[in-house]
Amino acid sequence: MDESGLTKGIQQGDRKAFQILVNSYQRMVVNTCLGIVHSQEDAEDLAQDVFLEIFRTAENFRGDAKISTWLYRIATNRSLNFVRNKKRKGFFQSLEETFTGTKNRTREISENRSDQPDHNITDQQRSDLLHRAIDRLPEKQRIAFTLNKYEELPYQQIAEVMEISLASVESLIHRAKKNLQEQLLDCYKKKCV
Amino acid sequence: MVSYIKSNKMKTKCIHKDLIFYLDNELSVEKKISVEKHLEECADCRSFLAFVRDEMQVIENEKNPEASPYFFTRLSARLDEKQVYQTQSQWAKLAQPAFFSLVLLAGIYGGLKLGSNASSPLVNQQTSSGVQMLNDFAAEPIESFLLDEL
Repeated sequence: MDESGLTKGIQQGDRKAFQILVNSYQRMVVNTCLGIVHSQEDAEDLAQDVFLEIFRTAENFRGDAKISTWLYRIATNRSLNFVRNKKRKGFFQSLEETFTGTKNRTREISENRSDQPDHNITDQQRSDLLHRAIDRLPEKQRIAFTLNKYEELPYQQIAEVMEISLASVESLIHRAKKNLQEQLLDCYKKKCV
Repeated sequence: MVSYIKSNKMKTKCIHKDLIFYLDNELSVEKKISVEKHLEECADCRSFLAFVRDEMQVIENEKNPEASPYFFTRLSARLDEKQVYQTQSQWAKLAQPAFFSLVLLAGIYGGLKLGSNASSPLVNQQTSSGVQMLNDFAAEPIESFLLDEL
């Protein structure tokens, strides 16, 4: 089934067409979300929300962009919202901890990694460092960098997803790499890994 | 060894800022050659290059996660749940105003019924006696009441 056939099917509420769409784009959507939220479980939940939104709002899809562009746009928006909400919750949680003196159990577990083998600590620290560095990037730089690195999208398609010019994408990715490099250098000098 | 690195640092300035672009093959040919030449001489830049390469490898390792086999099953269940909820909420949308309209009509009817009972002569009589009892002060002013107390 081609793209227009798929969208028409979904617009008419055809479950079979929807299944074909999900099977074709599931990996792509999960991967995009993963690049922003850095957790497989959260990425899968978000990907499900993305497909539910697609099914619900299919009638608004005019077909002037590719389905993948539409999916990337929803996936990045939902992932950024998820990160924002998580940050907000984290802020209130830390406030609560300050006043009540209690500590979240899950955080305690994640902080206490002394029972894991050495090489795992290094791998974990390495990925934590990179995730922190990516999370510190401004949102637009983060989206452009993630789409380029995790999805290996060409600059032209990133420009279509983000609805900005090609030159802006080039500039965003260049600045993202520069920022990452500065953060990594800082950590390298302090020997934090 | 340390003195060798130190002497190299003295000779050439580290090129840390170019290394991430070098890894992504985004430097001009001339710049790339000069970076490679520098890397041969500078152990610190080589070490930082290895560090950045390892960090970037994290992305390569974690991207393209295995597709969950139950993804569509879960999604389908959520879709059904949502549709049932939507049907229920559509019924609720219709039932709620109907229920409140009935309550309002019953209230108006009850009010009218009470009003018609209140206007009957028997009730008027009862009300006037009640008013009389309430207006005892008219029969016995407060001043005389207080004087009696003394």
